[in-house]
Amino acid sequence: MSGRLIYLDNAATSFPKPREVLDRMLQGYIELGVSPGRGSYDQALEAEDVVHGARKKLAIFFGAPDADRIIFAANATDALNIAFNGLLRPGDHVISTRLEHNSVLRPLYHFREMGWISYDLVHFDGKGFVDPGEIARNIKPNTRMVIVTHASNVLGSVQPVEEIGRVCSERGIPLIIDASQSAGKIPIDMTAWNVSAVAFTGHKALLGPTGIGGLAVRPDLDIKPSRFGGTGVDSRSPIHTVTFPHRLEAGTLNLIGIMGLSAGIDYIMHKGIESIHREEMALLKRLRDGLAGLEHVEMYCAGDLSGHVAVLTANVNGVSPEDAGAILDGDFNIAVRVGLHCAPLVHEDIGTINRGAVRFSPGIFNTPEDIDHAIRAMASMS
Amino acid sequence: MTAEEEHEKLLADLGRQLRIVAGREIYFDWEGFFWDPNDWDEEVATILARESGLDELTEAHWKVLRFIREYYFYHGRAPMNRHLKEGVHLSLGEIESLFPGGIRLGARRLAGLPNPKSCF
Repeated sequence: MSGRLIYLDNAATSFPKPREVLDRMLQGYIELGVSPGRGSYDQALEAEDVVHGARKKLAIFFGAPDADRIIFAANATDALNIAFNGLLRPGDHVISTRLEHNSVLRPLYHFREMGWISYDLVHFDGKGFVDPGEIARNIKPNTRMVIVTHASNVLGSVQPVEEIGRVCSERGIPLIIDASQSAGKIPIDMTAWNVSAVAFTGHKALLGPTGIGGLAVRPDLDIKPSRFGGTGVDSRSPIHTVTFPHRLEAGTLNLIGIMGLSAGIDYIMHKGIESIHREEMALLKRLRDGLAGLEHVEMYCAGDLSGHVAVLTANVNGVSPEDAGAILDGDFNIAVRVGLHCAPLVHEDIGTINRGAVRFSPGIFNTPEDIDHAIRAMASMS
Repeated sequence: MTAEEEHEKLLADLGRQLRIVAGREIYFDWEGFFWDPNDWDEEVATILARESGLDELTEAHWKVLRFIREYYFYHGRAPMNRHLKEGVHLSLGEIESLFPGGIRLGARRLAGLPNPKSCF
């Protein structure tokens, strides 16, 4: 058995983090770990500069017009909750897809159970893609929002957001994308694509730590605040600050998380997002080709990997996914994610709802040897 | 509905089922995992093994089952993969082959541990 952990669970969280990210977090917090923007002393102002610098960097990264509308949150789920709570009103209709993570499905279900909204979930095709025309056909007079995952966390398929954005823009309906699996892997341009808001998390392909994420919002999207409190400005007023970004942020920010996220983006920009994607997809293709030679392994929507990010889901005939994961871990030192991946409807549709599947998600620090080792491990389970 | 009836309904909703095994009333969950690990004994394990297609539990089987139980009652959780492997001197693949149903639905279930809480 290889002594080194072969980590193929980067779709859950990227690991390890680049040393540069960890160093900058530690050093930044040693030197500047004060409350950003909450004091008149120099360090507080410098810390605020760090936060604003991160907003500017993220705005460029996502093609967002206004850095002050980069809202920090704990993660993508948190950011999506800010969007749902700030946009949905009784009587609204929402369109989403059956590819969604529970970060979308559960808030929608909650609001429907409250009697506030109705929603339709659009099916994906046999290759894992949603048809923008199907979204158009589901639009109703009271459709308030379309929310789509940019890349499926089970199948890796990247959705045609640009076309969906066109559909939404022509009808004046905000499009929100969940970029949990795409941010840091493929370029995102919310302005060019007519995306009204991008929910992102910092700890996956953006290479930052857990606990930081956010929502990039276009100026024409009016999101009401859904949490209230101290913002460091307008303190005399009993009304929560109306100006962005404070409008949607309450309480002291996760400064060390923001430092890490900012360093992660620098790392990606330095390495080149296209280069990262190309390398990861080469690893994924190697894995797919290797597994394709194993009769006892079944893969899902992996026939054509164009339009995918580096996520591949499979099962071993006669071995439950959780046992396959245990064998990969215990006998081969390979970390993967098994189960339903918090996306039950995808598993319903690919026929794996009972026990789920094994998900491989290589990252920037994996090598072809890691992939070959994973293929040999899967071969051993015949 | 009384509080007790509500509690019973909740348990039923969670898939709790009563069975008579070796003359004893034992609760299992929807996948056949023991509701209470303390209801386990070797006679019950032998009967459940037979139901799963294992006519005989060999010394290799018992070594696995006893290790899992001892680990569980000492640590309060099922053994981690590497601990199981080291503890019984078998690879996970070998344990998988040893039990119909494999590691989780085979070994863990026959050892009387509760159903693991994982992403299902």
